[in-house]
Amino acid sequence: MGTAPAQLFPEFIVDTLGLDSVIGEVAASLVAAFVVGNIILAFTGVAGPWAKRKITAAFTDRIAVDRIGPYGLLIIPAAAVQLLAKELIIPEGVDRPSWDIAPILLPASALLGFSVIPMGQLGPINLQLADPEVGFALVFAFASIASVSLVMAGYASNNKYSLLGGLRAVAQNLAYEIPLIVTAMSVVIFAGTLQMSGIVGAQTETLVAVAGVSIPSWYAFVNPFAFVLFLTANMAEIGRNPFDIPEAPTEIVGGYQTEYSSAYFVLFYLGEFVHIFLGGAILAVTFLGGASGPGPESIGFIWFVVKIWGFFLFTQWARAALPRVRIDQLIEIGWKGMLVLSFANLVLTAVIVGVIA
Amino acid sequence: MSLERPDTVDDGAVERTPDELEALLGDLVVDRDDHLNAPGFVIRPDTVQETLRTLKEQAGYDHLSVVSAQEYENRYESIYHLKKYDDPTQEVSIVVPADKDDPVSESAEPVFRTADWHEREAYDLIGIEYDDHPDLRRILLPETWQGHPLSMDYDKDRPQIATLPEHANPLEDHHKDAESDTMFLNIGPHHPATHGVLHLKTVLDGEQVADVEPDIGYLHRSEEQMAQSGTYRHQIMPYPDRWDYISAGLLNEWAYARAAEDLADIEVPEYAQVIRTMGAEMCRIAAHMLALATFALDINGDFTATFMYAINDRERVQNLLEDLTGQRLMFNYFRLGGVVWDLPEPREEFFSDTRDFLDQLPESIEEYHNLITSNEIFQMRTIDTGILPPEVAKNYGATGPVARGSGVDYDLRRDDPYGYYDELDWDVVTEDGCDNFSRLLVRMREVEESAKIIEQCVDLLEDWPEDERNIQANVPRTLRPDDDTEIYRAVEGAKGELGIYIRADGTDKPARFKIRSPCFSNLQTLPEMANGEYIPDVIAALGSLDVVLGEVDR
Repeated sequence: MGTAPAQLFPEFIVDTLGLDSVIGEVAASLVAAFVVGNIILAFTGVAGPWAKRKITAAFTDRIAVDRIGPYGLLIIPAAAVQLLAKELIIPEGVDRPSWDIAPILLPASALLGFSVIPMGQLGPINLQLADPEVGFALVFAFASIASVSLVMAGYASNNKYSLLGGLRAVAQNLAYEIPLIVTAMSVVIFAGTLQMSGIVGAQTETLVAVAGVSIPSWYAFVNPFAFVLFLTANMAEIGRNPFDIPEAPTEIVGGYQTEYSSAYFVLFYLGEFVHIFLGGAILAVTFLGGASGPGPESIGFIWFVVKIWGFFLFTQWARAALPRVRIDQLIEIGWKGMLVLSFANLVLTAVIVGVIA
Repeated sequence: MSLERPDTVDDGAVERTPDELEALLGDLVVDRDDHLNAPGFVIRPDTVQETLRTLKEQAGYDHLSVVSAQEYENRYESIYHLKKYDDPTQEVSIVVPADKDDPVSESAEPVFRTADWHEREAYDLIGIEYDDHPDLRRILLPETWQGHPLSMDYDKDRPQIATLPEHANPLEDHHKDAESDTMFLNIGPHHPATHGVLHLKTVLDGEQVADVEPDIGYLHRSEEQMAQSGTYRHQIMPYPDRWDYISAGLLNEWAYARAAEDLADIEVPEYAQVIRTMGAEMCRIAAHMLALATFALDINGDFTATFMYAINDRERVQNLLEDLTGQRLMFNYFRLGGVVWDLPEPREEFFSDTRDFLDQLPESIEEYHNLITSNEIFQMRTIDTGILPPEVAKNYGATGPVARGSGVDYDLRRDDPYGYYDELDWDVVTEDGCDNFSRLLVRMREVEESAKIIEQCVDLLEDWPEDERNIQANVPRTLRPDDDTEIYRAVEGAKGELGIYIRADGTDKPARFKIRSPCFSNLQTLPEMANGEYIPDVIAALGSLDVVLGEVDR
């Protein structure tokens, strides 16, 4: 990196407020986590009731939510009140407490992933909560807790459609987690570190300069093949079209979320959106240079937001345009196609890096 | 000329005179009971299979359109309306009287698979029992129903208070032994992909379907009985709009109009026939657009753009139909002997609107091809899934795009011409894939053919001399067709052969009004397509059948 790495967010709070006791550090960490968590939840709040509808409407030649407030933005509080005010229906025979834990686990696991994501600077603040040396491994670990939640929901609902959805979720996650991580490993070989800031830092150099415009060495440019692989596996990992098989409303009526209503339903939706954003964040950090972009480093956060919203837009585009694959086809693509390709990519990268570097 | 049949005529297509048929059947025939549309042979109730097998195998009558049943003062009667897929103008009716006190008749199911559901319906509504039937249960009414509503001694005022003691355990016998590990799943009656209120009793082996059984009747509205209590002239015409309500209204109305006009010997003016033809093809486009839209919904998921695009196009044709008929859904536009009113004024505006629609249609179709049919994932999902071989399709009496998607070249507009179709230049579309993809493709290509027909109709109507615009024939205020005349007439609806059987008894209301719903027969093929496939393929197969439950249940 050009300048010295900025302080992590919690350290920044400690320094600014002069809290040097243990309690002070804990408090600062909690405050920082609260701020970051709320940023993500705010994204979700905008995305779920408003942006998603607007985007889908634009893709399908319609007009969506434009009655309440400017550009229909006040639909967000209206939808929140409406969803939370609904009756929570608890079906007979559900397996509690796992039925109650599942909807909390999904957004929690996705939010946890953001603890190590370097979201870039906003003014003097560097929005990253922690930067452990194994951060890259950690973020995948957090993200994959989500499938536990889906299985829990599917099994505990005591509904056959939910069960099918839960089973599909496991099969899908197994088939795509491995290509996802193996492809990510090829980036680690390039960067030589598992630390998130290190991976971002390794992408700041200029790859080529064409007519005064310098193209940074983002791994999407360095290894576009791995980028496409990762993008595909990522779509399957977060369960979006053409891989929205665990939900598949026209087949299994929403799968694991069939029996959930009211606040629990909101939590599941929240979790899915946070998961999309986490998927976008991982993609941005791994292949799109994290928070880097034109302009000073202090507006990096804005570039980061642009990137994850770009990914969100991409998922919605896929949703409007692409058919859903069948479960057996999905498994086949995962185990017979993606896995082989991702290992080929890994070996090739290792050879190239080993020979050149 | 495109309307000529291909030259491949096998022995089955050889036309036999009624006397030759009688000679072929020999002793099986006890009496003659000719209908207006076909010769009718009365046979004994225990020789149904033998008679039908002879006709199927030796005379080429391979299409059992419908089984209509009724009760007379002194007997019960089932009529098997037979046709040929190669030439549906060759018809024969097999009349099977059954004893008044013990109405038992041999089942035709071993000869024609399609008889399964048709005979169950006859049992359910009339009360005739069929020997040798594999599964004689009620089909439209609840299993606890008391009595047979279309039989003569049925007491309408008696409340139905019988409760259901216990549902049969669906896993009791088949699909459940010590080793197998199956799961029973109710798909529907409320499910996003059943296109109405349909219940599929499904037995799953993992994600694969071991058995699926459609359970229908949730939308049964006694349409036949309502038609029987209305007068021919005006009171029946509104009902057909409510059978296939997916904007195929004019096509349905034509089914009744054709049957009743032939029954009462009414000649329709040519000008009205052209308007009918145009309106009917607009309805076909609207219906196929919805079929395409919902099929995309089934394959792509809820937020697919294709759905809205197709609905948009359907909206345009719907606007034209609104201009023409004054209604968007329940048109009630046909009258016996013509149509209710002439084209909307100013005519030029209507013509230019129609031409605008036809001009942008190829562009839309191109877009659908880009969005779905040329998409690899879509092809992966639909090609070679939901296979329906042509022989199976015929055995089940499948018609319409479902049959044509299996390569069965059968379209009543060409093969049994009515309206103005035989004067126009268009083609019957068939595909040989026998799969979900073919059925979709047939519908998309049929939209193009319909557009061709509409364009020619508009040309004709534009140049029609003003003093010859006769929209209705002279029809008596009250129609009383002769006592004991019977007719079965069918038209090519959006979903296939939509036929009406009417028996007149000399009054101004039909004594028996039986609807041959194409969806009813088409839906019967679902288990053939679905068994052994995955759940998503069952959904896709159901979507490609394009059933409308209002027409299945009537």
